[in-house]
Amino acid sequence: MARTPYEGVFVVGAGQTVYQKRSDKTVHRVIWEALDAGLRSARLAQRDVQGLALTCFLLPPDNVTTVCEHFGIEARFLFQGLYGGASSIIGMLHAARAIRDGNADVVACVAADAFDVAAHNEMLDRFNGPMRDYLAPYGFGGANGVFALHTRLYMETFGARREDFGRLCVAQRANAGQNPNALLRTPMSLDDYLNARLIAEPLRLYDCVMPCVGGDAVILASEQVARRLGVPLVRIAGGGEMHNYPANDVYSLRGGWERIAPRMYEQAGCGPRDLAFAQLYDDYPVMEAIQLEGLGIAPRGKAHEWLRANDTTWRGTFPINTGGGQLSAGQAGASGGMIGVVEGVLQLRGEGGERQVKNAKRGIVAGYGLVAYGRGQSASAAVLERVD
Amino acid sequence: MTEKPTPRITAINKPFWDGCNQGRLMLQRCAAPECRKHVFYPRVCCPHCGHGALDWVEASGRGRILTYTEIHRPGHDAFLGEVPFLFIAVGLDEDPTIHSRLAGPAADNAGLIGRPVKVVFHQSTERQKLPFFALAG
Repeated sequence: MARTPYEGVFVVGAGQTVYQKRSDKTVHRVIWEALDAGLRSARLAQRDVQGLALTCFLLPPDNVTTVCEHFGIEARFLFQGLYGGASSIIGMLHAARAIRDGNADVVACVAADAFDVAAHNEMLDRFNGPMRDYLAPYGFGGANGVFALHTRLYMETFGARREDFGRLCVAQRANAGQNPNALLRTPMSLDDYLNARLIAEPLRLYDCVMPCVGGDAVILASEQVARRLGVPLVRIAGGGEMHNYPANDVYSLRGGWERIAPRMYEQAGCGPRDLAFAQLYDDYPVMEAIQLEGLGIAPRGKAHEWLRANDTTWRGTFPINTGGGQLSAGQAGASGGMIGVVEGVLQLRGEGGERQVKNAKRGIVAGYGLVAYGRGQSASAAVLERVD
Repeated sequence: MTEKPTPRITAINKPFWDGCNQGRLMLQRCAAPECRKHVFYPRVCCPHCGHGALDWVEASGRGRILTYTEIHRPGHDAFLGEVPFLFIAVGLDEDPTIHSRLAGPAADNAGLIGRPVKVVFHQSTERQKLPFFALAG
Protein backbone atom coordinates (compact mmCIF):
# COMPACT_ATOMS: atom_id res chain seq x y z
CA MET A 1 0.00 0.00 0.00
CA ALA A 2 2.88 2.39 0.69
CA ARG A 3 4.01 2.30 -2.91
CA THR A 4 1.48 4.81 -4.21
CA PRO A 5 3.05 8.21 -4.96
CA TYR A 6 -0.16 9.77 -3.65
CA GLU A 7 0.02 8.50 -0.06
CA GLY A 8 -1.36 10.94 2.47
CA VAL A 9 -3.52 12.74 -0.08
CA PHE A 10 -7.29 12.38 -0.23
CA VAL A 11 -10.11 13.34 -2.54
CA VAL A 12 -12.42 15.08 -0.10
CA GLY A 13 -15.08 16.49 -2.38
CA ALA A 14 -16.71 16.17 -5.79
CA GLY A 15 -19.17 18.52 -7.40
CA GLN A 16 -20.91 19.18 -10.68
CA THR A 17 -22.81 22.14 -12.07
CA VAL A 18 -26.13 21.73 -13.79
CA TYR A 19 -25.52 20.59 -17.41
CA GLN A 20 -27.30 22.76 -20.00
CA LYS A 21 -27.68 22.54 -23.77
CA ARG A 22 -27.00 26.23 -23.99
CA SER A 23 -26.53 29.11 -21.64
CA ASP A 24 -25.25 32.66 -21.68
CA LYS A 25 -23.00 31.95 -18.70
CA THR A 26 -19.33 32.79 -19.22
CA VAL A 27 -16.79 30.02 -18.63
CA HIS A 28 -15.54 31.88 -15.56
CA ARG A 29 -18.98 31.50 -14.02
CA VAL A 30 -19.20 27.81 -14.92
CA ILE A 31 -15.73 27.23 -13.41
CA TRP A 32 -16.80 29.01 -10.23
CA GLU A 33 -20.02 27.02 -9.94
CA ALA A 34 -18.11 23.73 -10.31
CA LEU A 35 -15.52 24.87 -7.74
CA ASP A 36 -18.28 25.92 -5.36
CA ALA A 37 -20.08 22.58 -5.72
CA GLY A 38 -16.83 20.69 -5.06
CA LEU A 39 -15.97 22.80 -2.00
CA ARG A 40 -19.46 22.31 -0.52
CA SER A 41 -19.05 18.57 -0.89
CA ALA A 42 -15.69 18.85 0.93
CA ARG A 43 -17.07 21.17 3.62
CA LEU A 44 -14.38 23.66 2.66
CA ALA A 45 -14.57 27.29 1.56
CA GLN A 46 -12.80 29.15 -1.21
CA ARG A 47 -10.44 30.77 1.34
CA ASP A 48 -9.07 27.26 2.06
CA VAL A 49 -7.96 26.72 -1.55
CA GLN A 50 -4.18 26.91 -1.98
CA GLY A 51 -3.89 25.57 -5.48
CA LEU A 52 -5.88 25.15 -8.67
CA ALA A 53 -5.66 22.59 -11.47
CA LEU A 54 -7.87 23.88 -14.26
CA THR A 55 -8.83 22.72 -17.75
CA CYS A 56 -11.05 24.79 -20.01
CA PHE A 57 -10.82 24.97 -23.81
CA LEU A 58 -12.61 28.30 -24.02
CA LEU A 59 -10.50 30.02 -21.36
CA PRO A 60 -7.82 31.64 -23.61
CA PRO A 61 -6.73 34.41 -23.72
CA ASP A 62 -7.26 33.99 -19.96
CA ASN A 63 -5.52 31.21 -18.09
CA VAL A 64 -5.37 29.57 -14.67
CA THR A 65 -3.43 32.53 -13.23
CA THR A 66 -5.93 35.15 -14.37
CA VAL A 67 -8.69 32.94 -12.98
CA CYS A 68 -6.93 33.13 -9.59
CA GLU A 69 -6.99 36.91 -9.89
CA HIS A 70 -10.64 36.87 -10.91
CA PHE A 71 -11.58 34.62 -7.97
CA GLY A 72 -9.17 36.16 -5.43
CA ILE A 73 -7.27 32.91 -4.82
CA GLU A 74 -3.67 33.12 -3.55
CA ALA A 75 -2.16 29.95 -5.01
CA ARG A 76 0.98 27.95 -4.22
CA PHE A 77 0.28 25.40 -6.95
CA LEU A 78 -1.21 25.89 -10.40
CA PHE A 79 -1.77 23.52 -13.31
CA GLN A 80 -3.50 24.20 -16.60
CA GLY A 81 -4.49 21.19 -18.66
CA LEU A 82 -3.23 21.16 -22.23
CA TYR A 83 -4.09 17.52 -22.86
CA GLY A 84 -7.78 17.77 -23.74
CA GLY A 85 -9.88 15.12 -22.04
CA ALA A 86 -6.80 13.53 -20.45
CA SER A 87 -6.05 16.75 -18.56
CA SER A 88 -8.34 16.40 -15.57
CA ILE A 89 -6.83 13.18 -14.28
CA ILE A 90 -3.32 14.38 -15.09
CA GLY A 91 -3.99 17.62 -13.18
CA MET A 92 -5.34 15.65 -10.24
CA LEU A 93 -2.23 13.45 -10.13
CA HIS A 94 0.11 16.47 -10.36
CA ALA A 95 -1.85 18.21 -7.62
CA ALA A 96 -1.72 15.12 -5.40
CA ARG A 97 2.07 14.98 -5.70
CA ALA A 98 2.28 18.69 -4.84
CA ILE A 99 0.21 18.09 -1.70
CA ARG A 100 2.27 15.00 -0.80
CA ASP A 101 5.42 17.13 -1.09
CA GLY A 102 3.98 19.76 1.23
CA ASN A 103 3.51 22.51 -1.36
CA ALA A 104 -0.17 22.95 -0.55
CA ASP A 105 -2.84 21.44 1.71
CA VAL A 106 -5.92 21.96 -0.44
CA VAL A 107 -6.02 21.96 -4.25
CA ALA A 108 -9.17 22.29 -6.34
CA CYS A 109 -9.20 20.40 -9.64
CA VAL A 110 -11.76 21.90 -12.01
CA ALA A 111 -12.81 21.40 -15.62
CA ALA A 112 -15.53 23.38 -17.31
CA ASP A 113 -16.62 24.74 -20.68
CA ALA A 114 -19.57 26.35 -22.43
CA PHE A 115 -19.92 24.83 -25.89
CA ASP A 116 -22.53 24.43 -28.58
CA VAL A 117 -22.10 22.44 -31.82
CA ALA A 118 -20.97 25.44 -33.91
CA ALA A 119 -18.35 26.56 -31.36
CA HIS A 120 -17.13 22.96 -31.04
CA ASN A 121 -16.65 22.55 -34.81
CA GLU A 122 -14.98 25.92 -35.14
CA MET A 123 -12.53 25.01 -32.39
CA LEU A 124 -11.68 21.65 -33.98
CA ASP A 125 -10.82 23.13 -37.38
CA ARG A 126 -8.12 25.18 -35.63
CA PHE A 127 -7.42 22.91 -32.66
CA ASN A 128 -3.74 22.58 -33.47
CA GLY A 129 -1.40 22.85 -36.44
CA PRO A 130 -1.77 19.31 -37.79
CA MET A 131 -5.57 19.49 -37.71
CA ARG A 132 -5.74 22.99 -39.15
CA ASP A 133 -3.24 22.33 -41.96
CA TYR A 134 -3.65 18.65 -42.85
CA LEU A 135 -7.20 17.64 -41.86
CA ALA A 136 -9.52 20.67 -41.96
CA PRO A 137 -8.88 21.50 -45.67
CA TYR A 138 -10.42 18.12 -46.62
CA GLY A 139 -13.70 18.74 -44.76
CA PHE A 140 -12.77 15.86 -42.47
CA GLY A 141 -15.90 15.97 -40.34
CA GLY A 142 -14.18 17.05 -37.14
CA ALA A 143 -13.71 14.54 -34.35
CA ASN A 144 -16.62 12.51 -35.76
CA GLY A 145 -14.67 11.92 -38.98
CA VAL A 146 -11.46 10.99 -37.17
CA PHE A 147 -13.14 8.48 -34.85
CA ALA A 148 -15.28 7.06 -37.63
CA LEU A 149 -11.97 5.98 -39.19
CA HIS A 150 -10.92 4.20 -35.97
CA THR A 151 -14.38 2.68 -35.50
CA ARG A 152 -14.41 1.27 -39.05
CA LEU A 153 -10.92 -0.17 -38.65
CA TYR A 154 -11.73 -1.69 -35.24
CA MET A 155 -14.86 -3.34 -36.66
CA GLU A 156 -13.08 -4.81 -39.68
CA THR A 157 -9.93 -5.85 -37.80
CA PHE A 158 -11.58 -7.54 -34.82
CA GLY A 159 -15.04 -8.41 -36.13
CA ALA A 160 -16.95 -6.00 -33.92
CA ARG A 161 -20.49 -5.02 -34.92
CA ARG A 162 -22.42 -1.81 -34.45
CA GLU A 163 -24.66 -3.71 -32.05
CA ASP A 164 -21.66 -4.21 -29.72
CA PHE A 165 -21.05 -0.48 -29.44
CA GLY A 166 -24.81 -0.04 -29.27
CA ARG A 167 -25.06 -2.20 -26.13
CA LEU A 168 -22.65 0.14 -24.40
CA CYS A 169 -24.48 3.29 -25.53
CA VAL A 170 -27.87 1.88 -24.55
CA ALA A 171 -26.52 0.90 -21.11
CA GLN A 172 -25.09 4.37 -20.58
CA ARG A 173 -28.45 5.88 -21.48
CA ALA A 174 -30.07 3.64 -18.87
CA ASN A 175 -27.52 4.93 -16.35
CA ALA A 176 -28.29 8.51 -17.34
CA GLY A 177 -31.94 7.81 -16.59
CA GLN A 178 -30.94 7.57 -12.92
CA ASN A 179 -28.86 10.78 -13.02
CA PRO A 180 -30.94 13.94 -12.60
CA ASN A 181 -28.07 15.99 -14.01
CA ALA A 182 -27.74 14.14 -17.34
CA LEU A 183 -29.02 15.93 -20.44
CA LEU A 184 -30.16 12.85 -22.40
CA ARG A 185 -32.39 10.80 -20.11
CA THR A 186 -35.14 9.50 -22.39
CA PRO A 187 -34.75 5.73 -22.70
CA MET A 188 -32.99 4.59 -25.88
CA SER A 189 -33.44 1.17 -27.50
CA LEU A 190 -30.86 -0.65 -29.58
CA ASP A 191 -33.05 0.09 -32.64
CA ASP A 192 -33.00 3.80 -31.82
CA TYR A 193 -29.20 3.60 -31.73
CA LEU A 194 -28.84 1.56 -34.93
CA ASN A 195 -31.26 3.68 -36.98
CA ALA A 196 -30.19 7.14 -35.83
CA ARG A 197 -29.18 9.82 -38.32
CA LEU A 198 -25.91 9.12 -40.17
CA ILE A 199 -23.05 11.40 -39.16
CA ALA A 200 -19.84 9.80 -40.45
CA GLU A 201 -20.51 6.19 -41.36
CA PRO A 202 -20.32 3.90 -39.38
CA LEU A 203 -20.99 6.55 -36.72
CA ARG A 204 -24.55 7.69 -36.22
CA LEU A 205 -26.00 10.33 -33.94
CA TYR A 206 -25.83 8.38 -30.65
CA ASP A 207 -22.16 7.48 -31.14
CA CYS A 208 -21.40 11.18 -30.84
CA VAL A 209 -21.39 13.37 -27.76
CA MET A 210 -23.52 16.48 -27.50
CA PRO A 211 -21.56 19.68 -26.85
CA CYS A 212 -23.03 21.52 -23.88
CA VAL A 213 -22.38 23.83 -20.93
CA GLY A 214 -21.19 22.50 -17.59
CA GLY A 215 -18.39 21.97 -15.13
CA ASP A 216 -17.03 19.35 -12.74
CA ALA A 217 -14.62 19.53 -9.81
CA VAL A 218 -12.87 17.38 -7.24
CA ILE A 219 -11.10 18.73 -4.17
CA LEU A 220 -7.85 17.20 -2.89
CA ALA A 221 -6.51 17.68 0.63
CA SER A 222 -3.61 16.60 2.78
CA GLU A 223 -4.27 13.99 5.46
CA GLN A 224 -4.06 16.63 8.19
CA VAL A 225 -6.88 18.66 6.61
CA ALA A 226 -8.84 15.69 5.30
CA ARG A 227 -9.18 13.95 8.68
CA ARG A 228 -10.93 16.90 10.32
CA LEU A 229 -13.53 17.52 7.61
CA GLY A 230 -15.90 14.71 8.54
CA VAL A 231 -16.48 13.72 4.92
CA PRO A 232 -16.00 10.30 3.30
CA LEU A 233 -12.41 9.94 2.11
CA VAL A 234 -11.18 8.56 -1.21
CA ARG A 235 -7.54 7.82 -1.94
CA ILE A 236 -5.68 7.77 -5.23
CA ALA A 237 -4.27 4.26 -5.17
CA GLY A 238 -2.35 4.60 -8.43
CA GLY A 239 -2.32 6.45 -11.69
CA GLY A 240 -0.40 7.69 -14.68
CA GLU A 241 -0.27 9.51 -17.98
CA MET A 242 1.07 8.60 -21.42
CA HIS A 243 1.34 10.77 -24.52
CA ASN A 244 1.94 10.12 -28.21
CA TYR A 245 1.86 6.36 -27.80
CA PRO A 246 2.62 4.51 -29.96
CA ALA A 247 4.66 7.17 -31.79
CA ASN A 248 4.37 7.33 -35.59
CA ASP A 249 1.53 4.80 -35.67
CA VAL A 250 -1.86 6.49 -35.97
CA TYR A 251 -3.94 3.37 -36.68
CA SER A 252 -2.60 0.93 -34.09
CA LEU A 253 -6.00 0.58 -32.32
CA ARG A 254 -4.02 0.98 -29.09
CA GLY A 255 -3.51 3.81 -26.66
CA GLY A 256 -1.37 4.94 -23.75
CA TRP A 257 -3.40 2.99 -21.18
CA GLU A 258 -1.50 -0.23 -21.88
CA ARG A 259 1.66 1.60 -20.80
CA ILE A 260 0.02 3.22 -17.77
CA ALA A 261 -1.72 0.09 -16.50
CA PRO A 262 1.11 -2.17 -15.21
CA ARG A 263 2.68 0.53 -13.02
CA MET A 264 -0.71 1.89 -11.91
CA TYR A 265 -1.94 -1.52 -10.76
CA GLU A 266 1.37 -2.20 -9.04
CA GLN A 267 1.08 1.09 -7.13
CA ALA A 268 -2.50 0.23 -6.22
CA GLY A 269 -1.74 -3.35 -5.24
CA CYS A 270 -4.69 -4.58 -7.26
CA GLY A 271 -5.67 -5.61 -10.76
CA PRO A 272 -8.54 -5.18 -13.17
CA ARG A 273 -10.50 -7.96 -11.44
CA ASP A 274 -10.62 -5.91 -8.24
CA LEU A 275 -12.54 -2.99 -9.72
CA ALA A 276 -16.21 -2.31 -8.92
CA PHE A 277 -16.66 0.01 -11.90
CA ALA A 278 -14.93 1.94 -14.67
CA GLN A 279 -15.57 5.55 -15.63
CA LEU A 280 -14.08 5.66 -19.13
CA TYR A 281 -13.51 8.55 -21.50
CA ASP A 282 -16.42 8.09 -23.88
CA ASP A 283 -15.99 10.60 -26.67
CA TYR A 284 -16.80 7.62 -28.92
CA PRO A 285 -17.65 4.03 -27.98
CA VAL A 286 -14.65 2.66 -29.92
CA MET A 287 -12.35 4.50 -27.53
CA GLU A 288 -14.09 2.86 -24.57
CA ALA A 289 -13.33 -0.48 -26.21
CA ILE A 290 -9.67 0.47 -26.57
CA GLN A 291 -9.55 1.65 -22.95
CA LEU A 292 -11.14 -1.60 -21.72
CA GLU A 293 -8.35 -3.46 -23.52
CA GLY A 294 -5.50 -1.14 -22.52
CA LEU A 295 -6.56 -1.19 -18.88
CA GLY A 296 -6.64 -4.99 -18.89
CA ILE A 297 -10.40 -5.27 -18.30
CA ALA A 298 -11.01 -6.95 -21.68
CA PRO A 299 -8.51 -8.97 -23.78
CA ARG A 300 -6.82 -7.15 -26.66
CA GLY A 301 -9.08 -7.03 -29.72
CA LYS A 302 -11.95 -8.61 -27.82
CA ALA A 303 -13.66 -5.72 -26.03
CA HIS A 304 -16.71 -6.21 -28.26
CA GLU A 305 -16.99 -9.85 -27.12
CA TRP A 306 -16.53 -8.73 -23.51
CA LEU A 307 -19.36 -6.22 -24.03
CA ARG A 308 -21.64 -9.00 -25.33
CA ALA A 309 -20.96 -10.97 -22.14
CA ASN A 310 -21.39 -8.11 -19.65
CA ASP A 311 -24.14 -5.81 -18.46
CA THR A 312 -22.53 -2.39 -18.01
CA THR A 313 -25.43 -0.61 -16.32
CA TRP A 314 -25.02 0.57 -12.73
CA ARG A 315 -26.49 -2.70 -11.45
CA GLY A 316 -24.80 -4.91 -14.04
CA THR A 317 -21.88 -7.32 -14.01
CA PHE A 318 -19.35 -4.52 -14.65
CA PRO A 319 -20.76 -0.98 -14.46
CA ILE A 320 -19.34 1.56 -16.91
CA ASN A 321 -20.01 5.30 -16.90
CA THR A 322 -22.61 5.02 -14.21
CA GLY A 323 -23.81 8.61 -14.58
CA GLY A 324 -24.44 8.19 -18.31
CA GLY A 325 -21.00 9.44 -19.35
CA GLN A 326 -20.50 12.15 -21.91
CA LEU A 327 -22.58 10.20 -24.44
CA SER A 328 -25.71 10.68 -22.37
CA ALA A 329 -24.89 13.42 -19.83
CA GLY A 330 -23.31 15.69 -22.47
CA GLN A 331 -19.77 16.83 -23.28
CA ALA A 332 -19.09 20.21 -21.74
CA GLY A 333 -15.75 20.56 -23.56
CA ALA A 334 -12.86 19.96 -21.19
CA SER A 335 -15.28 18.85 -18.50
CA GLY A 336 -15.57 15.58 -20.38
CA GLY A 337 -12.27 14.64 -18.74
CA MET A 338 -13.61 15.29 -15.22
CA ILE A 339 -17.17 14.01 -15.42
CA GLY A 340 -16.01 10.42 -14.86
CA VAL A 341 -13.76 11.38 -11.95
CA VAL A 342 -16.64 13.13 -10.21
CA GLU A 343 -18.92 10.15 -10.86
CA GLY A 344 -16.27 7.75 -9.56
CA VAL A 345 -15.78 9.74 -6.36
CA LEU A 346 -19.56 9.99 -5.79
CA GLN A 347 -19.87 6.21 -6.19
CA LEU A 348 -17.03 5.55 -3.72
CA ARG A 349 -18.59 7.98 -1.23
CA GLY A 350 -21.88 6.11 -1.51
CA GLU A 351 -23.53 9.17 -3.02
CA GLY A 352 -24.61 7.51 -6.26
CA GLY A 353 -28.31 7.86 -5.41
CA GLU A 354 -30.60 5.77 -7.64
CA ARG A 355 -27.57 4.57 -9.60
CA GLN A 356 -25.37 3.57 -6.65
CA VAL A 357 -23.11 0.62 -7.49
CA LYS A 358 -23.18 -2.06 -4.77
CA ASN A 359 -19.98 -2.54 -2.76
CA ALA A 360 -18.22 0.28 -4.60
CA LYS A 361 -14.89 0.00 -2.80
CA ARG A 362 -12.54 0.62 -5.69
CA GLY A 363 -12.91 1.80 -9.28
CA ILE A 364 -10.97 3.12 -12.22
CA VAL A 365 -11.23 6.44 -14.03
CA ALA A 366 -9.66 7.18 -17.42
CA GLY A 367 -9.10 10.20 -19.63
CA TYR A 368 -8.22 10.75 -23.28
CA GLY A 369 -7.76 13.74 -25.48
CA LEU A 370 -6.01 16.25 -27.64
CA VAL A 371 -6.84 14.98 -31.09
CA ALA A 372 -4.04 15.89 -33.49
CA TYR A 373 -3.15 14.11 -36.76
CA GLY A 374 -5.75 11.38 -36.66
CA ARG A 375 -5.97 10.36 -33.00
CA GLY A 376 -6.00 11.61 -29.44
CA GLN A 377 -2.47 12.22 -28.24
CA SER A 378 -2.92 11.90 -24.49
CA ALA A 379 -4.13 9.16 -22.17
CA SER A 380 -4.53 9.11 -18.40
CA ALA A 381 -5.97 6.84 -15.73
CA ALA A 382 -6.22 6.43 -11.97
CA VAL A 383 -7.44 3.84 -9.49
CA LEU A 384 -9.58 5.43 -6.78
CA GLU A 385 -10.39 3.66 -3.51
CA ARG A 386 -12.73 4.32 -0.62
CA VAL A 387 -11.00 4.71 2.76
CA ASP A 388 -12.95 2.85 5.44
CA MET B 1 -21.23 30.61 -48.88
CA THR B 2 -18.49 30.24 -46.32
CA GLU B 3 -14.98 29.61 -47.55
CA LYS B 4 -13.16 26.33 -47.08
CA PRO B 5 -10.45 26.20 -44.44
CA THR B 6 -6.99 26.40 -45.96
CA PRO B 7 -3.61 25.31 -44.64
CA ARG B 8 -1.22 27.86 -43.19
CA ILE B 9 1.81 27.84 -45.48
CA THR B 10 5.10 27.97 -43.57
CA ALA B 11 8.79 27.60 -44.38
CA ILE B 12 8.46 23.99 -43.20
CA ASN B 13 5.49 22.87 -45.29
CA LYS B 14 5.78 25.09 -48.40
CA PRO B 15 7.46 22.40 -50.57
CA PHE B 16 4.55 20.04 -49.85
CA TRP B 17 1.81 22.54 -50.77
CA ASP B 18 3.74 23.91 -53.78
CA GLY B 19 4.21 20.32 -54.93
CA CYS B 20 0.45 19.70 -54.79
CA ASN B 21 -0.16 22.71 -57.04
CA GLN B 22 2.43 21.29 -59.47
CA GLY B 23 0.89 17.82 -59.43
CA ARG B 24 3.65 16.21 -57.37
CA LEU B 25 3.27 14.50 -54.00
CA MET B 26 6.28 15.61 -52.00
CA LEU B 27 7.43 13.92 -48.80
CA GLN B 28 10.24 14.64 -46.43
CA ARG B 29 12.94 12.00 -46.00
CA CYS B 30 15.33 11.86 -43.06
CA ALA B 31 18.88 12.73 -44.16
CA ALA B 32 20.54 10.58 -41.47
CA PRO B 33 22.17 7.65 -43.34
CA GLU B 34 21.14 5.16 -40.68
CA CYS B 35 17.49 6.29 -40.78
CA ARG B 36 16.36 7.57 -44.22
CA LYS B 37 12.69 7.15 -43.25
CA HIS B 38 9.99 9.09 -45.09
CA VAL B 39 7.97 11.58 -43.07
CA PHE B 40 4.49 13.09 -43.31
CA TYR B 41 3.15 15.63 -42.16
CA PRO B 42 6.08 18.06 -42.63
CA ARG B 43 8.31 18.39 -39.54
CA VAL B 44 11.38 20.29 -38.40
CA CYS B 45 13.07 17.04 -37.37
CA CYS B 46 12.69 13.35 -38.05
CA PRO B 47 10.05 11.88 -35.68
CA HIS B 48 11.75 8.47 -35.92
CA CYS B 49 15.32 9.41 -34.92
CA GLY B 50 15.30 13.13 -34.02
CA HIS B 51 17.72 14.11 -36.79
CA GLY B 52 17.44 17.78 -37.77
CA ALA B 53 17.94 17.52 -41.55
CA LEU B 54 15.18 16.28 -43.85
CA ASP B 55 15.31 16.16 -47.65
CA TRP B 56 12.29 16.68 -49.91
CA VAL B 57 11.62 13.83 -52.34
CA GLU B 58 8.80 13.10 -54.76
CA ALA B 59 6.71 10.15 -53.61
CA SER B 60 5.30 7.43 -55.82
CA GLY B 61 1.78 8.64 -55.05
CA ARG B 62 0.78 5.04 -54.45
CA GLY B 63 -0.57 3.45 -51.31
CA ARG B 64 -3.38 1.44 -49.75
CA ILE B 65 -6.52 2.51 -47.92
CA LEU B 66 -6.00 1.92 -44.17
CA THR B 67 -9.53 2.93 -43.20
CA TYR B 68 -12.37 5.12 -44.42
CA THR B 69 -15.60 6.85 -43.50
CA GLU B 70 -18.47 8.29 -45.48
CA ILE B 71 -18.98 11.82 -44.17
CA HIS B 72 -22.58 12.98 -43.94
CA ARG B 73 -22.11 15.88 -41.55
CA PRO B 74 -18.93 17.81 -42.35
CA GLY B 75 -17.37 19.83 -39.54
CA HIS B 76 -17.43 22.95 -41.73
CA ASP B 77 -20.38 24.35 -43.68
CA ALA B 78 -18.26 24.98 -46.79
CA PHE B 79 -18.38 21.22 -47.48
CA LEU B 80 -22.15 20.79 -47.14
CA GLY B 81 -22.62 20.75 -50.93
CA GLU B 82 -20.20 17.83 -51.31
CA VAL B 83 -21.73 15.26 -48.92
CA PRO B 84 -21.65 12.38 -48.78
CA PHE B 85 -17.96 11.94 -49.52
CA LEU B 86 -15.33 9.45 -48.44
CA PHE B 87 -12.68 10.61 -46.01
CA ILE B 88 -9.83 8.12 -45.92
CA ALA B 89 -6.48 7.32 -44.34
CA VAL B 90 -3.88 6.05 -46.79
CA GLY B 91 -0.74 4.13 -45.95
CA LEU B 92 1.70 5.36 -48.58
CA ASP B 93 4.10 2.87 -50.19
CA GLU B 94 6.90 4.97 -48.62
CA ASP B 95 5.30 4.24 -45.19
CA PRO B 96 3.81 7.48 -43.80
CA THR B 97 0.07 7.76 -43.20
CA ILE B 98 -1.78 10.57 -44.98
CA HIS B 99 -5.41 11.60 -44.52
CA SER B 100 -7.27 12.54 -47.67
CA ARG B 101 -10.43 11.96 -49.65
CA LEU B 102 -11.34 9.32 -52.18
CA ALA B 103 -11.76 10.97 -55.56
CA GLY B 104 -15.02 10.36 -57.35
CA PRO B 105 -18.50 9.44 -56.12
CA ALA B 106 -18.97 7.61 -52.82
CA ALA B 107 -20.98 4.83 -54.46
CA ASP B 108 -20.12 1.29 -53.37
CA ASN B 109 -17.79 1.69 -50.42
CA ALA B 110 -17.81 -1.80 -48.92
CA GLY B 111 -14.47 -3.55 -48.55
CA LEU B 112 -12.29 -0.53 -49.24
CA ILE B 113 -9.71 -1.34 -46.58
CA GLY B 114 -6.53 -2.57 -48.24
CA ARG B 115 -7.51 -1.38 -51.73
CA PRO B 116 -4.62 0.20 -53.73
CA VAL B 117 -4.94 3.89 -54.55
CA LYS B 118 -3.06 6.48 -56.58
CA VAL B 119 -2.84 10.20 -55.92
CA VAL B 120 -4.79 12.73 -58.02
CA PHE B 121 -4.78 16.44 -57.43
CA HIS B 122 -8.03 18.24 -56.74
CA GLN B 123 -8.46 22.00 -57.13
CA SER B 124 -10.04 22.60 -53.72
CA THR B 125 -9.80 26.37 -53.55
CA GLU B 126 -8.71 28.94 -56.11
CA ARG B 127 -5.14 28.90 -54.80
CA GLN B 128 -4.60 25.39 -53.52
CA LYS B 129 -4.82 21.88 -54.94
CA LEU B 130 -5.15 19.02 -52.44
CA PRO B 131 -3.93 15.45 -52.90
CA PHE B 132 -6.96 13.16 -53.22
CA PHE B 133 -6.67 9.44 -53.99
CA ALA B 134 -8.42 7.35 -56.64
CA LEU B 135 -8.84 3.57 -56.62
CA ALA B 136 -6.09 1.96 -58.70
CA GLY B 137 -6.48 -1.43 -60.35
